[in-house]
Amino acid sequence: MASTIELASAFIEGAPPGEEGDILSSLAPAFERYNESQLATVKLPGSSQEVIVSEFNKVEGNRYFDSESQTSFEIDHTTQIASNAQSSPLESQNADLIKSLLKSLGIHAKEHYPNCSYGVYPIENDSAIAILLVANRYSPNNFWNGRFRAIYQVPVSSSSTTVTGKIHVDVHYYEDGNVALNTTKPVKIPINSVTAESIISRTATAERDYQEELNRAFVRMAEGAFKGLRRQLPITRQKVEWEKVGGYRLGQDISGGKGR
Amino acid sequence: MADAQFDSALDLLRRLNPRDTKANLQAITTIVPDLTEDLLSSVDQPLEIRRCPQTSRDYLLCDYNRDGDSYRSPWSNEFDPPLEDGTVPSERVRKLEVAANEAFDVYRELYYEGGVGSVYFWDLDDGFAGVILLKKGVTAGSQSSGDWDSIHVFEATDRARMSHYKLTSTVILHLANGTDALGEMDLSGNMTRQVEADLPVESDASHIANVGRLVEDMELKMRNLLQEVYFGKAKDVVGELRSLAPLSETNRDRATQLEMIKGMQK
Repeated sequence: MASTIELASAFIEGAPPGEEGDILSSLAPAFERYNESQLATVKLPGSSQEVIVSEFNKVEGNRYFDSESQTSFEIDHTTQIASNAQSSPLESQNADLIKSLLKSLGIHAKEHYPNCSYGVYPIENDSAIAILLVANRYSPNNFWNGRFRAIYQVPVSSSSTTVTGKIHVDVHYYEDGNVALNTTKPVKIPINSVTAESIISRTATAERDYQEELNRAFVRMAEGAFKGLRRQLPITRQKVEWEKVGGYRLGQDISGGKGR
Repeated sequence: MADAQFDSALDLLRRLNPRDTKANLQAITTIVPDLTEDLLSSVDQPLEIRRCPQTSRDYLLCDYNRDGDSYRSPWSNEFDPPLEDGTVPSERVRKLEVAANEAFDVYRELYYEGGVGSVYFWDLDDGFAGVILLKKGVTAGSQSSGDWDSIHVFEATDRARMSHYKLTSTVILHLANGTDALGEMDLSGNMTRQVEADLPVESDASHIANVGRLVEDMELKMRNLLQEVYFGKAKDVVGELRSLAPLSETNRDRATQLEMIKGMQK
């Protein structure tokens, strides 16, 4: 991934006169992979609503589908700008469940994510449903950015099912340094009744439990590995007496000096 | 052009995942081989350990003890693989280097209770310069680990009965944790700080104490800073992304509070 970015920058810098656009579009697959895996959000044309771009709501080519507004749109992967929006009714045997899931997810999202986008889509030939949520907070003035992603898949074939998925948290802090938090938490939740309320209530619980566990992990790391690496003060609670630990030898015997 | 490329490369490395610095550096220097020397000397990477064949003691590798493909051991002053005419410090600066290695060995034992350290000095026209390296790794259980790398580069410029010290310190800290409940968690990065000071010098021994105290104070400061950023800031940002408390409650509490403040101002 990273080396793709490096190579990409070399290609762009090496573009012949007037051909930078062509070079850029030949690099589009890298941007496409980034946008789909990071759940990039784009504003629908003429709307302030942000919708998700992912592998789960891809129609074909650069066209993606938003089930809540029942709209499909094209995206320029390099600029993350959406265009050519078209009305596109939700066609699925699970349409009712998808609509209920959107409603429940919307209520949950509003309660816990100050800035987020979400989507629910039919996947795998309409045999399953994908539930996505992405929350971004960008604060470049304070040198930090963050992203929370939850990606779930729910097979809808029988009365009970298992939600599988992953939660990712990525934080970047870069004031006089470069510090990154990257997490991945696999999720597997058995569901007895395939209803929107039970599914969203269980995924919401998984997200809460995960955040609480992550908060505990910060404390564990600070009290464990971090303390084990370097003490704040020596065990004597006193700073080093530098005159006594090396310099004395120089003072006494300037001609000496083989290492131990 | 080369300068612009160099700046772009540094800017990229500042933003890309610090965990991947080594691989990214390799990718960049594959594309722009001309930048290799400059980037290797400006980008801090986790330190590598080598065993000194003469003394059987471990030492750390960096650009400052490298000559061609060989590295100089601070314990023997010899290059490995051996070099006929490898660059070594002058006699006086080597003596200082030996004393500094002894002093920082005590420091390392007191603060790190293990790990590996190395100090390298070199001559300047109007003084000398050096780098103090400290490295420690811990593993707790199979899926929890931590690595600390300190890189302190300083210049000591002679003044009348004083020396002007300029210290640039980088700490690279990598922490990883994995459990069933947590999944995978990786917290990696580096932070850099600088300090300058004029300090009295009575003899060469003063240099060891002066540099020692500057590094000791700097590491304390940076340890506190790392603690704040890694465990405070990162956790706060997670809290900005997702609120544990329902936002409707938080907003209601905030509104009530605002009402109270308004009421008190009347």
